[in-house]
Amino acid sequence: MTNHWRDIRHADLILVNGANPAEAHPVGFRWLMRAKLDRGAKIIHADPRFTRTSAVADTHLRIRTGTDVAYFGGLINYVLENNLYHKEYVEWATNAGFVVTADYSFSDGMFNGFNQQTGTYNTAAWAYVMENGQAKVDIANPRSVLNLLREHYKRYTPEMVERITGIPRDQFLSVAKLVGEMGRPDKVMTIVYAVGLTHHTTGVQLIRSAAILQLLLGNMGRPGGGMNAERGHANIQGNTDHAISWDILPGYLRIPAPGQKNIADHLTASASKKLLPNAVNFLGENYRKFLVSLLKAWYGDAATPANEFAFDYLPKPAANASWISIFDQALRGKMEGVILSGMTATSIGPDSNQVLQALSNLKWLCVMDPFRTTSSEFWNAPGMDPAKIQTEVFMLPATHWIEKDGSFTNSGRWAQWKEQVLPPEGESRHDHWVLAELFDRVKGFYQQQGGKFPDPVLRLTLPYQDPRKPELDEIAQEINGKSLATGQRLATFADLKDDGSTTAGDWIYTGAYPQSGNLMKRRDGVQDQAKNDPTGMGFYPNWAWAWPLNRRVLYNRASADPAGNPWDPKRVGIKWDAAAGKWVGDVPDYPGTAAPGPTAPLPFIMTGEGTGRIFSNGVADGPFPEHYEPVESPVQNPLHPQVSATPAAFLYDQKAGRPNRFGTVAEFPYVATSYRLTEHEHYVTQNVEHLVQLQPEAFVEVPAELAKEKGIATGDHVRVSSKRGKLEVRAVVTNRLGPLQIDGKKIYQIGIPIHWGFVGINTGQHWLANALTPFVGDASARTPEFKAFLVNIEKM
Amino acid sequence: MAEITPGQAYGFFTDTSVCIGCKACEVACKQWNELDGHDPIFGDGYDNTGSLDSQNWRHVKFIDNVPNETMGTGAGKAWLMMSDVCKHCQHASCMEVCPTGAIIRTEFDSVFIQPDVCNGCRDCISACPYGVIGHSEEKGVVQKCTLCYDRLQGGMEPACAKACPTESIQFGPLDELRQAAQQRVDALHSQGVSQAQLYGADDSVYGGLNAFFLLMDKPEAYHLPNAENAVLPSRNNLGGYLGAALTAVLAVFGGLIAFRRRREPAVETPAEVPAAAPPATVESTVDEPEPEAGEKE
Amino acid sequence: MSLAEPAQHFVRAPGWTWYILFYFFFAGLSGGTYVIATLLRLRGEPTDEPAARLGCYASFATLLVCPVMLILDLGSPLRFWHMLWNTTPGDTGPIFKYWSPMSVGAWGLLVFGALVTVSFVDTLVRDGKLGWLGWVARLLDGALGKVVMIAGALFGLFVAGYTGVLLAVSNQPVWSDSWTLGGLFLASGMSGSVALLLFLLRYRAPAEISAGPLTVSERLYAVLELALVVIFAITLVPAGTFDLAFGFPWILLWLVALAGLAPGIGGLVTSRLAVTPEGITVPVHSASAVRSVAVPVLILLGVLALRAAVIFSIE
Ligand SMILES: Nc1nc2c(c(=O)[nH]1)N[C@H]1C(S)=C(S)[C@@H](COP(=O)(O)OP(=O)(O)OC[C@H]3O[C@@H](n4cnc5c(=O)[nH]c(N)nc54)[C@H](O)[C@@H]3O)O[C@H]1N2
Ligand SMILES: Nc1nc2c(c(=O)[nH]1)N[C@H]1C(S)=C(S)[C@@H](COP(=O)(O)OP(=O)(O)OC[C@H]3O[C@@H](n4cnc5c(=O)[nH]c(N)nc54)[C@H](O)[C@@H]3O)O[C@H]1N2
Ligand code: SF4
Ligand code: SF4
Ligand code: SF4
Ligand code: SF4
Ligand code: SF4
Ligand SMILES: [Mo]
Repeated sequence: MTNHWRDIRHADLILVNGANPAEAHPVGFRWLMRAKLDRGAKIIHADPRFTRTSAVADTHLRIRTGTDVAYFGGLINYVLENNLYHKEYVEWATNAGFVVTADYSFSDGMFNGFNQQTGTYNTAAWAYVMENGQAKVDIANPRSVLNLLREHYKRYTPEMVERITGIPRDQFLSVAKLVGEMGRPDKVMTIVYAVGLTHHTTGVQLIRSAAILQLLLGNMGRPGGGMNAERGHANIQGNTDHAISWDILPGYLRIPAPGQKNIADHLTASASKKLLPNAVNFLGENYRKFLVSLLKAWYGDAATPANEFAFDYLPKPAANASWISIFDQALRGKMEGVILSGMTATSIGPDSNQVLQALSNLKWLCVMDPFRTTSSEFWNAPGMDPAKIQTEVFMLPATHWIEKDGSFTNSGRWAQWKEQVLPPEGESRHDHWVLAELFDRVKGFYQQQGGKFPDPVLRLTLPYQDPRKPELDEIAQEINGKSLATGQRLATFADLKDDGSTTAGDWIYTGAYPQSGNLMKRRDGVQDQAKNDPTGMGFYPNWAWAWPLNRRVLYNRASADPAGNPWDPKRVGIKWDAAAGKWVGDVPDYPGTAAPGPTAPLPFIMTGEGTGRIFSNGVADGPFPEHYEPVESPVQNPLHPQVSATPAAFLYDQKAGRPNRFGTVAEFPYVATSYRLTEHEHYVTQNVEHLVQLQPEAFVEVPAELAKEKGIATGDHVRVSSKRGKLEVRAVVTNRLGPLQIDGKKIYQIGIPIHWGFVGINTGQHWLANALTPFVGDASARTPEFKAFLVNIEKM
Repeated sequence: MAEITPGQAYGFFTDTSVCIGCKACEVACKQWNELDGHDPIFGDGYDNTGSLDSQNWRHVKFIDNVPNETMGTGAGKAWLMMSDVCKHCQHASCMEVCPTGAIIRTEFDSVFIQPDVCNGCRDCISACPYGVIGHSEEKGVVQKCTLCYDRLQGGMEPACAKACPTESIQFGPLDELRQAAQQRVDALHSQGVSQAQLYGADDSVYGGLNAFFLLMDKPEAYHLPNAENAVLPSRNNLGGYLGAALTAVLAVFGGLIAFRRRREPAVETPAEVPAAAPPATVESTVDEPEPEAGEKE
Repeated sequence: MSLAEPAQHFVRAPGWTWYILFYFFFAGLSGGTYVIATLLRLRGEPTDEPAARLGCYASFATLLVCPVMLILDLGSPLRFWHMLWNTTPGDTGPIFKYWSPMSVGAWGLLVFGALVTVSFVDTLVRDGKLGWLGWVARLLDGALGKVVMIAGALFGLFVAGYTGVLLAVSNQPVWSDSWTLGGLFLASGMSGSVALLLFLLRYRAPAEISAGPLTVSERLYAVLELALVVIFAITLVPAGTFDLAFGFPWILLWLVALAGLAPGIGGLVTSRLAVTPEGITVPVHSASAVRSVAVPVLILLGVLALRAAVIFSIE
């Protein structure tokens, strides 16, 4: 989230897309309700299904899964056509005025720079015109980002939106009218989203299209505005910050690429360049400090200026190593073993049957989990023959997070320390202890036997009392980082150095655990609002700690106009206090004492542009979001039938020469999407009596009209099948799912909750929703397309 | 949550217009009251709890009126969700019939079933117009929401209210709740949600419900009796006993006729009496007035 | 079958078991037989005395079953006495709620039980058993005896009838939709009691003399019960619960119940046809009634079926 949960109550309009907060974030959802109840905010829920969120929203738009780019594109077009965008904001705080080179083009569904062989775009081909070292800015220029944007989205007329999304024109327009008003300085809109947008081959672009709308309306950086991703597991945000995904280092530094000999090479490839004189380009300018401090944290004395601070020790993966890629490698037989910790591969898919195959190809599988999971029992899955499976499976009982202390980072970037609630059970051990001991033993082998490249292992520092039993508190301190000169922990990443005199395990967390103590433990909240919330804006600066620097709203410089006065005096993010000569309010996302003025630093300090990016070459599949059909779709893309789905998606089976596993609308006429129910947390709650009672059995939601055709009634057993597998579960017949009119064609959508498997209390429920889902993901993030695929349904 | 003081009337204002059907209330109640719940059974996908009973003291009802058209306006109207619970009626049907005095009104003005007094006769079950009470086989007594009597005594708000993320369940002193409720309906009406209405906030049903509701449709839609139908069991005492008494009179009357002396004077030795009766009786026997008497009722 | 605005019932069924069914059944018989006994003794020929005593025995025997059934149906049988004694801390003492038929019934059954027991002992003595208790008979010879019998009869009527009121004083469909259940149970209790006695006559030769009047009463009660069944059905229509009570499968039970009325009604009709100048019909019928086992059994089955239909149609 650019903002945070509590902040949502400041919104006048709340667009919920690709999220079902009432069911997936019921506690956070209270803030949407407060906005509605306290200030009469309107909630617009665009979802293929009428959900428990729609039930309390003001408007539900039944949208075809995978088509939000068309929806947001339509809104972008509406806002531009009717000049409803926040002009002053857009010209000052976005790259709308930047002029784009002549190379950039878009025609017949293709951007320039596509390489047919690799199936990828050369993103460098989407660039700004540079004049003596800086980007050319001229908003009137026909090649300005704003004009190209107009050009790009003028195809997204209300009629086109209806043809693609199924949202009737007049309903779209009634919503567009509300959205249009949010370009006024005294209005603000927030966009709330989650995996209903990310689980698509166009996931990143779906989100970008919404972000572009927010920039046009001047809602980024403002209380009650922003782009707010409701994150997953209680600590999934913390996971991401600490580089759970393969392509980053802690703090969103890039993972080095092959051929990068030294830090300089790496910076050229990874650090953003300053494109305007008064752009701060904070990350770009300080990237080296953060990387060196990380290397010092990891390799201590072994990291010296002489050896480029052990830059060599960092892995430089040649191939993509995202989730699907891992199991693709296993399918290709290129994988010896896998350690699964806190993740149930078999259940989470996609294409469980193929994942089961992949696991069977392993020599060994190690599962660290408090419970038996569908992965630790995969060899026992229905249809599997244990005798034929050679994979050796190790089950390491791990403590559950309720049995450890440590911090959770929530969607709003607040790192909140928690205490251990229950003592560990039986032989279970903390994950970090298991991993520490595992590492220690591996290290032992390297010490005895040497090896190809032992240094990265042997030189790793483990500054803990007991290297085999690190305390999470010790790890938190290590992450915060310190000055090697004084040994004192640092209070801000501004003090990090690139000369090797400081450490930081994750620069964005520097300041979470300063010398003064663990700020993540702070709990000055509503018990004394006057004292703990001085601005009255709900920042509660002494409640836990938010990265970066305890800042509650990112990009908050943009909440005030160029002169430093808040766009809306009633909803102040930060404002310039001329008397005091500093910015007051939230922790400024800006040099704290930089006065407003013509030469003042630009508002978005992280980017090379100094502005928000409407046009961006940071994504693999296009500088502007374009609507592409899901890989499995019931229709040809009405915009460009010849390029229906995204050309940039990586097709694993095809590339590996495995038989095609995608179905066609002829065999599988219905659209399906998969999702959560309030009553369960994925798969783990299949171990919880009371929750199993609330949702005892796997089911699918079937549109009443279709059910009538097929003679299906609620409670009947139905077989839902895709090209990849099938479910045989109960039907829940309802009007909540449609039908939809798409491009003149009646389309039925089928809803598939994900929560059941062959392990847990109700073991009869051995159906994995992911038996149906396609083995393909987003072009940039490779997030699987869990949310849009084709199925057939028949009564049993 | 302010002090909870004995002697003051407490209750719930359950605002169904903001209920998101998350069932946190159901689970919180089971957790606090150590209710096992029933074996899992599939209901209709969203409501698998079915009804209030000995194990379910909160039950979230789902009433799906979503239209088939593409756009359903939510605003709490199209898919009704309501967390049902004991209403802690001012005029409590259950309390009225209970023969043991097990059901009492507590110092918090809630209706409480004393588990050590109840003998499991289940008369209250047949009386409660809301189908709230259930009989626990293994405990041998009936159970329902206690308004978290034990928590209130400890100065804590009820578990369900505490767990509710949307403040659909609001706990507090009745007078405050009624004000809050009135403001909420007014607000909804001003937003054009005309069908929003309070149920049990005034004394029109059972003299007022300490656990009252804001509904987005008429009470019947939620399976709640409307004011006319909110009646107490005791209403049938008079009619029932009169009917019985009248019958009793006729029965006795009939007996008197059937067994009236058949010969004067009576024979001393019954044993020798021939099993015979004089003609006279017969005639009169056959035109007994009873049939008509019967119709006359 | 239902009219414009049916009554709204959203209750749950109390889940009463067959214990209650049999309690209702035997309560009807115990109360009924005692009333018959009283009538025979106070109104009938001295020749009816044997039948009256038979009634007392029958009443006592059937009474014994009642508390057993009642208690076994409780969730906590050992707490049956809570019906009479409130154990609420700070509020202990006898508990009597006149507006709660179950409370009233508990006391009614207690008193009736006492009186029946007295009459039972008295009867034993009169039959020459328990000589050492002769004083009881002597005590009850005069007015006191009458008082006991009449009081007992009144409580008998109550015990036989209140069970219907108990059902009515609820919010259940069917039960609470009609004011007739008390009367209906009483009437069927009476006809059942007569049937029981007609059945038992065969074991007490001297009592057979009363077969005639008993048969006559059987017919009258049959008519009374039939009338009440009709009214009961009619009262359900406006409430919209007729189908619930008389729909399948309950209709089958109702057929049995009506079959139980057949002998009585039929007898009435046929005897009317068979009138002769002397018209010595009654003995004939009574004799046949005495001989027949089927008839009384059928009637008793009817009594049981009627209660079953009413109790279980809402479960
Ligand atoms: N109760 C519960 N809460 C959870 C979880 C849980 O398992 N159970 N899991 C947690 C985790 S890990 C995560 S990631 C979050 C996920 O939180 P959400 O993203 O809210 O959860 P989902 O149900 O997967 O998807 C949300 C909605 O997206 C809709 N949808 C599908 N495709 C599209 C589309 O193309 N466009 C639009 N507009 N909508 C679409 C679905 O119908 C669904 O209603 O939830 C977290 N919270
Ligand atoms: N079709 C479809 N598939 C999906 C999704 C979808 O929407 N549709 N959603 C996807 C998303 S967003 C997610 S996040 C995944 C969720 O998939 P998972 O994360 O696999 O789901 P969970 O059941 O939450 O698994 C968490 C596991 O961690 C264990 N655990 C809990 N605490 C600890 C701990 O402290 N240490 C260790 N070692 N283990 C612990 C639990 O016992 C449980 O087994 O599913 C993905 N799969
Ligand atoms: S489960 Fe935890 S994280 Fe999820 S909504 Fe409830 S409180 Fe929040
Ligand atoms: S709702 Fe039922 S159980 Fe609760 S007080 Fe009223 S009558 Fe008694
Ligand atoms: S079951 Fe218990 S609470 Fe209910 S009426 Fe009988 S004694 Fe009273
Ligand atoms: S008040 Fe307590 S007992 Fe009653 S429903 Fe809520 S949690 Fe359960
Ligand atoms: S907890 Fe609140 S929102 Fe959730 S179901 Fe219960 S009443 Fe509704
Ligand atoms: Mo997730």
